[in-house]
Amino acid sequence: MRSILAIGAALIWTALSVAPAAAADKVVLMLNWYVYGEHAPFYYGKAKGIYAAEGIDLEIQEGRGSAATTQAVAAKTADFGYVDVPTMMRAAVKGAPVIATGVLLQTSPMSVMGFADKNIRKPEDIRGKTVAITPADSMTQIWPLFLKKTGLKESDFHTVAGDGQTKLNAVINGQADLLLGYVMDQSMKIKDATAKDVYPIKFADYGINMVSSGLIANTDYVKTHEDIVRRFMSATTKAVEAAEKDPKAAAQSILDANPKGGKIDTLTQGFELTIPLYRTAETKDKRPFQVTDQNMADSVNLMVEYGGLDAKAKDNPKAFYTNDYLPKGNS
Amino acid sequence: MAGPKGESAISRALNAAWIRPFLFLIFIVVAWDLAIRIFKIPAYQIPAPADVVAVLWSDWPELLQQAWPTTYATLCGFLLSALFGIPIAMLIAGSKTVESYIYPLLVFSQSVPKVAIAPLFVVWFGFGIIPKVIAAFLLGFFPVVVSAVQGFKSVDLDMVDLARAMQGSRFQVFCAVNLPHAMPAIFSGLKVSVTLAVVGAVVGEFVGSNSGIGYVMQRSIGTFDLPTMFAALVILALLGVILFWVVDRIEKLVIPWHVSQREDVIFAS
Repeated sequence: MRSILAIGAALIWTALSVAPAAAADKVVLMLNWYVYGEHAPFYYGKAKGIYAAEGIDLEIQEGRGSAATTQAVAAKTADFGYVDVPTMMRAAVKGAPVIATGVLLQTSPMSVMGFADKNIRKPEDIRGKTVAITPADSMTQIWPLFLKKTGLKESDFHTVAGDGQTKLNAVINGQADLLLGYVMDQSMKIKDATAKDVYPIKFADYGINMVSSGLIANTDYVKTHEDIVRRFMSATTKAVEAAEKDPKAAAQSILDANPKGGKIDTLTQGFELTIPLYRTAETKDKRPFQVTDQNMADSVNLMVEYGGLDAKAKDNPKAFYTNDYLPKGNS
Repeated sequence: MAGPKGESAISRALNAAWIRPFLFLIFIVVAWDLAIRIFKIPAYQIPAPADVVAVLWSDWPELLQQAWPTTYATLCGFLLSALFGIPIAMLIAGSKTVESYIYPLLVFSQSVPKVAIAPLFVVWFGFGIIPKVIAAFLLGFFPVVVSAVQGFKSVDLDMVDLARAMQGSRFQVFCAVNLPHAMPAIFSGLKVSVTLAVVGAVVGEFVGSNSGIGYVMQRSIGTFDLPTMFAALVILALLGVILFWVVDRIEKLVIPWHVSQREDVIFAS
């Protein structure tokens, strides 16, 4: 009996020792919201094995708003978060230990949108209409700045408030003419539901130069898992570049992972609307995530003046982000 | 002939009904503050009690103003639950046919998550107070019906027979025997229902509203303003406590004879 046990143990030991030396590192990425076109690169990278090639076993979780995802990363419930970086700044300035390891959307996707056939194309057309907002979400906090830049006042239009689903329902059912949303998210969802086009008035067209979505991580995690952070950012950079070259395949990878994630045409269109936001004039030849210090400083200043961010954020805008973990090289 | 020992002023004070929960509340607040200090919990995860109190103190007028729409929606929803719940319970308790058709569906509907269908109410009824009232009603309806059915079914049949034998009409028997017997159970259901109606009103506000405590909470979550969020929670809890107490007072008026309403009696020797 004892000899059988000994042989068995020896066999197991041998089997374990010839097993692959390094199993992939498990990494959890929590998105900012339920999945939509903007998230294609992550799913594409996973499907194409780009993360696996860097030794990362990526798990993608859908989120419930940038604020909630930021809290999750601060609490180490998720390793990385894909969130609206200005929202993350709000938490960071209150002491949350989070930092952006790469800012992807260097131009803001925020917009006020409604059905194209309502012909609301310019800010002046908003007068007298009904706008649906979600109190205190990332767009509603910048909305007063948009109003200021376009010469509108809160009294020029009617506002209704609700959560994300209510906003969509309101526009679809005519209870509201417009809603505040990202150019590639709600517009596509409305198109899925009604087959009608949506026209977004982009905040960026009216002088609101602010960064938007980016990858964030817990500052402790970055210190203790430097290697994983580097590999993750390298893999994600490659994933974004690969997705840019084949938007339809990237959108398809979302559906392969999540069959109820949307429809292929609108997911592709949504992702194609996202690509131009990756770069500004200064970074147009650079790889993704390489945000300029000036862009970040401008975003911080805007947030302090109009976004309700604590003024002490201006003292050190570099505390909110780092490009140190991005892959070197400019290919 | 020694009588019972006279209570000292302090022990009389300690025995007053409201002192004990108040002391316990203070104990919880102290424990909360200590936990934050000992475990070094950061402010953006759990706010310190002092910050919450500071918000309650400084924002008192706005919080009170925002509490009215929530209270109004809660009360309307609760009254609807009572108004519809008790008669439906009478029907269910009174007729096996009705019970077999309706009761299982009622239980089935209870499991439908109200927070998921609340956006539909906004689509059907707009952004006013109606979706909030409906959400409060739907949450408070089930406890009332279940307790009332229990109450109506537990009537002592011998008493009913006795009243009928004394030539009471069905209606007279109902008012004199069935209803009073069912009252204790009905009130217990109403007490649960009123606290659930508060939840329902807040769910309605989260989904679509420009005002109310739910709106304050939603706003403060988005700006990481945890002291205000906790202050809103305190207000909601207070609202539940006050409404519960009101129903309790009404119960004392309506069924003073019930065993649950008896005060402790001290017998002289």
